[in-house]
Amino acid sequence: MTSVPCAAAAAMAEEERALLGPAGRQEDGGGSAATPSVLPAACDPRRLAHRLLVLSLMCFLGFGSYFCYDNPAALQTQVQRDMKVNTAQFMALYAWYSWPNVVLCFFGGFLIDRVFGIRLGTIIFSIFVCVGQVIFALGAILNTFWLMDVGRFIFGIGGESLAVAQNTYAVSWFKGKELNLVFGLQLSMARIGSTVNMNIMGWIYSRVQDLLGYTGPSTLGLTLMIGGVTCLFSLTCALILAYLDKRAEKLLCKEQGKTGEVIKLTDVKDFSLSLWLIFVICVCYYAAVFPFIGLGKVFFIEKFKFSSQEASAINSIVYIISAPMSPVFGLLVDKLGKNIIWVLCAVVTTLASHIMLAFTFWNPWIAMCLLGLAYSLLACALWPMVAFVVPEHQLGTAYGFMQSIQNLGLAIIAIAAGMILDTRGYLFLEVFFSACVCLSLIAVVMLYFVNHLTGGDLNWSAKKREKLQKAAETEKEI
Amino acid sequence: MQYNPGWNGSSVNLLHVRAVGRGDTLHYVWSSIGAPAALLVATASGSSALRLNWTRLLSPDPTGAVWIEPASSVVYSAAVVFTKVFEYSQTKMLEELFYPTYDLSDFSWDSVNGTLNHTALTAEFKGVPATDPGGSFSNGSLAFRVTAYEVGGRDGPLPSLLHTANSSKVEFVLAGVAPRGNSSRFALEVAMVEEPGVAQKLRSARSIDDEYTPTIFEMLSLVAESQNDSSPLSFLQWKATAYGSQTPRREDNIQCRSHSLQAANWSLPVSSLVHAYFGEGVGSTYTISAINISFGGEDGQVYQEKRYLSWSVLLGFGQPPKDTFSPLVISIMAVALGTPMVMLLVGSCVVFFAQRKRYSEYEPIN
Repeated sequence: MTSVPCAAAAAMAEEERALLGPAGRQEDGGGSAATPSVLPAACDPRRLAHRLLVLSLMCFLGFGSYFCYDNPAALQTQVQRDMKVNTAQFMALYAWYSWPNVVLCFFGGFLIDRVFGIRLGTIIFSIFVCVGQVIFALGAILNTFWLMDVGRFIFGIGGESLAVAQNTYAVSWFKGKELNLVFGLQLSMARIGSTVNMNIMGWIYSRVQDLLGYTGPSTLGLTLMIGGVTCLFSLTCALILAYLDKRAEKLLCKEQGKTGEVIKLTDVKDFSLSLWLIFVICVCYYAAVFPFIGLGKVFFIEKFKFSSQEASAINSIVYIISAPMSPVFGLLVDKLGKNIIWVLCAVVTTLASHIMLAFTFWNPWIAMCLLGLAYSLLACALWPMVAFVVPEHQLGTAYGFMQSIQNLGLAIIAIAAGMILDTRGYLFLEVFFSACVCLSLIAVVMLYFVNHLTGGDLNWSAKKREKLQKAAETEKEI
Repeated sequence: MQYNPGWNGSSVNLLHVRAVGRGDTLHYVWSSIGAPAALLVATASGSSALRLNWTRLLSPDPTGAVWIEPASSVVYSAAVVFTKVFEYSQTKMLEELFYPTYDLSDFSWDSVNGTLNHTALTAEFKGVPATDPGGSFSNGSLAFRVTAYEVGGRDGPLPSLLHTANSSKVEFVLAGVAPRGNSSRFALEVAMVEEPGVAQKLRSARSIDDEYTPTIFEMLSLVAESQNDSSPLSFLQWKATAYGSQTPRREDNIQCRSHSLQAANWSLPVSSLVHAYFGEGVGSTYTISAINISFGGEDGQVYQEKRYLSWSVLLGFGQPPKDTFSPLVISIMAVALGTPMVMLLVGSCVVFFAQRKRYSEYEPIN
């Protein structure tokens, strides 16, 4: 579930363009004088009350998929015990989620813009998520692990594209107004979904166990079915949102939202060295964070002797921290610029936290809080960098490509991590993750020097950027 | 390695393992006469030998039937006796319900002769209860697998304990034994006989290194220390895990807990070997301490499914071996951390010279 920062950043960049474009800032509540208000506030698409309703629907649209994405992590012990699978097979559940997205990242935008439209697209993706989760749960009930893999695959087809659809909706309803805030809220909601999942699934499992009186595949399946209710809830949100969007279209004569992504795979050969380095940073960094969280719960139980609840809590701290800190760091990076330095800080902090987890018995809360901070900072500093090194018309391709290889990296590393854990244990796993972060660090250092030597603008402070932008504008005017 | 030295017959089992070093000899004597036991004797002579009086040993009073010659060369001796296997289940009220205990001195043991492997230095003591009214052992058995080592190293199969040439491994195996309850768990009682002036200490060490025994961080050791200078004399060492499979993998791991060490003031079950060597003083002159090792976590289901349990423990003289980081881990960390540093240095130099060059190009304007 990593597309959000990317899609958000892409849309943010788009919004920036909109703001800087000739039209300038759009008038607030465009066309409010044209039609006399006869509808109550909550039903009037121009009024704040209605937009808040739409906003909450948008936020809950992604809740189900974020909730269910980390179901395996929350139930690792139960999954491994009931389905009798080793850790490598367990981690394949995450890999199967990532595989379809290696390809789909390029087509999500295309499907929404050209094939389905945003409304139908969102509903279809939500249905994929629901069906995927149901098959996942059925696989558990029928005690067939491969069916669970199939479920995760279908779930993955829907999940990532749904995030793109969610962002497209946000741009279409809030462009030029509260867009950054809306993105922030959506991101926070996603994190809340993951956090709630981490902390509640174990409890649901034990209740189901009490109800059935035994543990086994059917207990697991029933628990996952109950988790799937959140997907149904999100599907309902998608349906209501489609209705409201359609209605707003009629009332306000507004166009159906589009991602505006143009993907041309031939652009890949024009990518600069800097962009490739950014890709490396991205892949290696996320590979050391998400698979780690996938295996985290049992790690804290086995190495640090945490209780199940405590382990769930600490495993979700990364998400909890990133919910409030993402907007803060976003603002900070925007104000100060110097993106590479921030990325460097984030990577070094992550490295420190992995080394702490590997080589010490220090209270893991310290390391996990550091990881949470670093993760939030990286997302805010890394993704916008792409916009600086790629011409505008290639932005869609660059983001699509970045997501694609990120998913590829996640899928491979997830399986590798499972295999390493089974044969070599946690110390080696943490050393492996540290090595991944180090690779990412090497890429950051290289990026710094490449940028320095080629006179790139990645590491300028915000002030300098502004000055140069002004200079460029005046030059144009002349 | 010698089987029943000086006795023709395999109705009883006695295995003598001799490790000869420069100026010292270590004797391990394993026997299933009575409860299965191991006698550990360290001698300061390169030619010390084990002597047995078989008629005496097999008589009801075996005192003095086992001795070392020359007696003056004996530096230290101790014995480990595996006395009982408990089976119990935990009720919902967290009470422990005990089933009748299996007393290992009442077991009938198969001949070790057929299981001897003189190249791998292994042997297996396999037994079933002499009377088995419940039929739990009809398809199963209990066994102690003994491995002696010629050189230091590390076992291949899990838990991959590190061993020295001075140590031996014994593996407690419960295979196919039908549990008597739905959530039965087993516990093994191990008793140690020590010389006067020697104290047993149970140490639990948590290590960050689980590379050789994945996901197991706890290493327990029971060290016999001399009370004078607290120098370690002998040890039992084990990882806090048992495995539920003949080819153990990480996911077969069965939680293993050690209960506190207790001075045993009860009389030791008749273990002929111990009485034969230490004589009547066992329990008075020679102190006995005992520890229970229980297998199975919150739910004892792993055994129910697999019907197999194996737990390994290392016995030896001196200091228990300590794990260190593997060269692979060290080299990965060194390369991973070193490369960015080197790049930072090289990069700084390149940038520095590039800038100087650029400035120097402008200098001639003067």
